[in-house]
Parts: sequence; C-alpha cells; structure tokens
Amino acid sequence: MYLRRIHAAWFGIHFFLVTAVCLAGVFWLIAKGATILPSAWDEFARKAELIATWCQGKKAGPSNPVRLVIGTYLHAAGIQAGYSFFAPNVPSHHRLTLKLFHDDGRIEYELPRVRSRAAALRLDSLLNRLAEQRYEPNREVVVKGLALSVWREHPDVKKVRATFETVHLPSITEFEHGKTETLEPMFSFDFSLRGEEQQ
Amino acid sequence: MSSLTSYAEANLKLNPLHRGWQRFVGFLFPSESDTWLTVFRIGLGLQVTLYALFLRNDWHYLFASSGKGLVGRELGEAITSFDGPLIPKLGWLVALGRNLNISEDTVLSVAWVGLASAGCLLLVGLLSRPAAIVAWFVHLCAAESGGLLAYGADNFMTTALFYLMLSPLPDSYSFDHWVTKTKPRNPQALGFWRRMLQVHLCFVYFIGGLAKFLGNGWWDGSNLWRSLIRPPFNLVSPDLLVHFKYALPFLGISICLLEVSYPVFIWLKRTRRIWLGCILAMHASIGLMMGLYLFALVMIVMNVAAFGVPDASTRAQAASGCPEQ
Repeated sequence: MYLRRIHAAWFGIHFFLVTAVCLAGVFWLIAKGATILPSAWDEFARKAELIATWCQGKKAGPSNPVRLVIGTYLHAAGIQAGYSFFAPNVPSHHRLTLKLFHDDGRIEYELPRVRSRAAALRLDSLLNRLAEQRYEPNREVVVKGLALSVWREHPDVKKVRATFETVHLPSITEFEHGKTETLEPMFSFDFSLRGEEQQ
Repeated sequence: MSSLTSYAEANLKLNPLHRGWQRFVGFLFPSESDTWLTVFRIGLGLQVTLYALFLRNDWHYLFASSGKGLVGRELGEAITSFDGPLIPKLGWLVALGRNLNISEDTVLSVAWVGLASAGCLLLVGLLSRPAAIVAWFVHLCAAESGGLLAYGADNFMTTALFYLMLSPLPDSYSFDHWVTKTKPRNPQALGFWRRMLQVHLCFVYFIGGLAKFLGNGWWDGSNLWRSLIRPPFNLVSPDLLVHFKYALPFLGISICLLEVSYPVFIWLKRTRRIWLGCILAMHASIGLMMGLYLFALVMIVMNVAAFGVPDASTRAQAASGCPEQ
C-alpha cells in the first residue's frame, strides 16, 4: 500500500507538470495572437501562461534548487516541451544562403549541408529556431558555426556573407496560377578571417 | 448473503473521498500481463537501432565541439545547463574521456556504438533493463547536446525510453527471461506503467488537437497543403496534391477531431479500434508522405503498446466467449 501511494503521488506530480508545460505552450500561442481566438483573450492568456510557467519553477531565480530539480526532471522525462506541433498553423520555412567570396574573385552560393535525411530534419529544426525572437541572441554564434562548416570545405574563401531568409510558400490557389515561393530576408552576417560584422 | 449485506453497508459508510481514492487506485493499478511491455521493448529497440543507423554518417558532424562539426555542441549544452546543470549531455562523456586520455572522436564513437548496441539488446531482450537505461542516457545526452537541432521525435523517444527503463523489465518474451527464468512480474505494477503511457498519450493528442483547432489553417486545409509542400517534408509532388485540394479541408478538420477526441474514444471499447486504427494510419501517412520516419515509428510503437495490445480483462472475456461491452 505504501509503495502504491508513492506511485500515485508520482503519477499526480508527473502529470501536473505535463499539464503545466502543455498549457503554457497553448496559452503562449494565444497570448501572441497566433490563434483564431479574439484579441480579448490575449491578456487572459498572458496571465494564464505566467501561472503555468510559475508551476514549472521558471519564475524562480536561475540557481533556485526547486527550479533546477523541476527543469532536470522535465528534460529527463522528455516533457520539457509541449505538443503543439504544426499548431496553430504550420510555421514558415527558413533558408540560410552562404555567399562565398573566393580569393580569385569568384563568387559561389552554398547551403549548409548534412549527409543524411535524418540530419537534414535537424538542420531544418535549427533554422526554424533561429527565426524565433527568443533565439535572437544566439543567431550570430549559430550562423558563424554554419558558415565555418562550409568554409572548411573551401579554404580559399576570404569572406562569407550569410543571409537568413523566410521562405513564403504559395497557397494552393497561387500554386495553380503558377506562383512559386518568395523569399523575405530577415538578417545577414558577413564573416571574414579578420572578424565579422552584422548587416 | 449476510456477509454481502454487511460488506455493502460498510462500503456505504466509506466517505466519498475514500471511495474516490479507491477508484483512483483501481484505475492506476489494473492487473496486466506483460505482453504490452514486450511490444514496447521490441518497438523501442527497433526505434533506437534505426535512430543510430540513420545518424551514423552525421553523428560526429552533429555532436562534435565548435570548429569541428556543424555548429558545435557547446551552445546546445549551455542552453540545457540553464534549465538544470544535472541534465546529461555528451560533454560529460567527452570530459570523462579527456581525463582518461581518450579523444573526443573516440568518445563520440563509443557513445554511438553504445546506443546502437542498446537498441539491439532491447530488440532481443538481453540485459533488458541495463540496455534501456543506456539507451535513455545516451539518447538524452545526444538530444540535449544537439539542443537546437532536436525535434519532436527526440522528445517522444526520451519519454518512451524513460517509461521503458522504469517499467518492470524483463518481460516474459525476452532473452533474459529465457536465460534466468525470472518470476512473473507483479500484474498491478505492469498495469501502472501501462496506465502512465496511456494517460501520457491522451495528453499528447488532446493538446495537439486543441492547439490545431485554434489555427485557421486547419479548418480550410491550407495547413495540410503547407506541411506537405514545405521542405524538407515535400516528398509528394504539389501537382499531385492539387488533385486532392477539395479533400484537404475535410482531412484537416478530421485530424483535429481525431486528436482532440482521442482521450475519450480510445478508452471506450466500442471505439478503441477505430480511433487507434485512424491514429496509426495518420502516423504512417506522416512517416511516408513527409519523411518523418522516426517520429512516425515512435508514435506507432507507443500507441500499439498502450492501446493496441488487448488488456487482461479483454483477453479474459475473449477466452470465456463473452462479447465485448
């Protein structure tokens, strides 16, 4: 009976955390106005998201032991992210184009490459995260890493311009009328052997 | 007769809270055989093995440190450490290897071999629990070190392996059982871990369905169109999809309904097979039409283990010839 109580308590805590994570994700989508709900819901969703986030200990200080224990448990159980995949709408696709300036004046265009399809899905996931506002501080480091991965294969390149773009896909009607994808630049970085500068 | 009456009277005297607790315990600890666990173990063994094989050519490239790989694992590990310094990561193994004068490349190779071996051991059921723990640990290290490279399949694999390593292994169809002749596991412990998996899937689909219902693109089919033509999921030609444009809104709404109603209809015996069949078909389609093979497989394994294997009461009814309620 004692063991059952422990199991039951753990069941309750585990699914309380799953609920908190999932609801935080859904309320975040509502709060940023990404859903079909009227904007009157935004304020309520913002407050509800704060409560759901608080339940995960994320409002505590970075070194708070409760926060660290909950965070570690969420990651260990794989429940740190919600389940709103492709929701409320399918996100835009993103592309990173690397313009390579060779020593002899040649210019080439390359995309970051991986060998397998399984790794390509991960690269796509990385690029989509870069587009999110919350990853803005990490953009330069990640793009520099991706540029360097291509640079290693082209040692005579003296400069790399990395341009990150949102790819707008045509709707089904637009596709029937012959429209193809359109690109919208989001940001770019220039990297050279001497240093780099953002544009 | 008198004893039955006194039992009923005693039961009536129990307060509602206690009755609620008894019903909750009854729900949490049903008696189960270990057939579902066999399916879960073999399915995850296959999943882990395929995961390792699919990534074998890119393993070092994805998880090497800065300057050697794609983006370097340090950033992912730094972001993970912010959530909890005790979350396992490949950097731990590399640091351990450095102390033993083992290069980073060798450590990453050993990690890959460990993961692939754990998958194979799970498949045959040899050293089931150690294999499940190693698979969970190495996969978690990779998922966390990959950090920004991770996607949905990684979370589901972590969750599934987390449940598997805590479940009462070995099952009676494993090589371990054949070798050591272990005693049958407590049926209620088996029932508890199956309940965990079942309830978890209900959360997954309900939240997924709810969030999709909140997007206008699932009502008019445009989200299905966008998901199928969006690189790198664009395995089906858009020209072919255009022929089915009138079916897309119906399919989009059906997916939302299927997911949001999963926590209700998957528990009813009359509708369980229909809902399970539709969910499995949906995941098989995602795998084949979008190339999300690992994601599709882990979801199929979790669903079949949770709801696809008949539970003990259903099997007892079938054995006695009674129709299902």
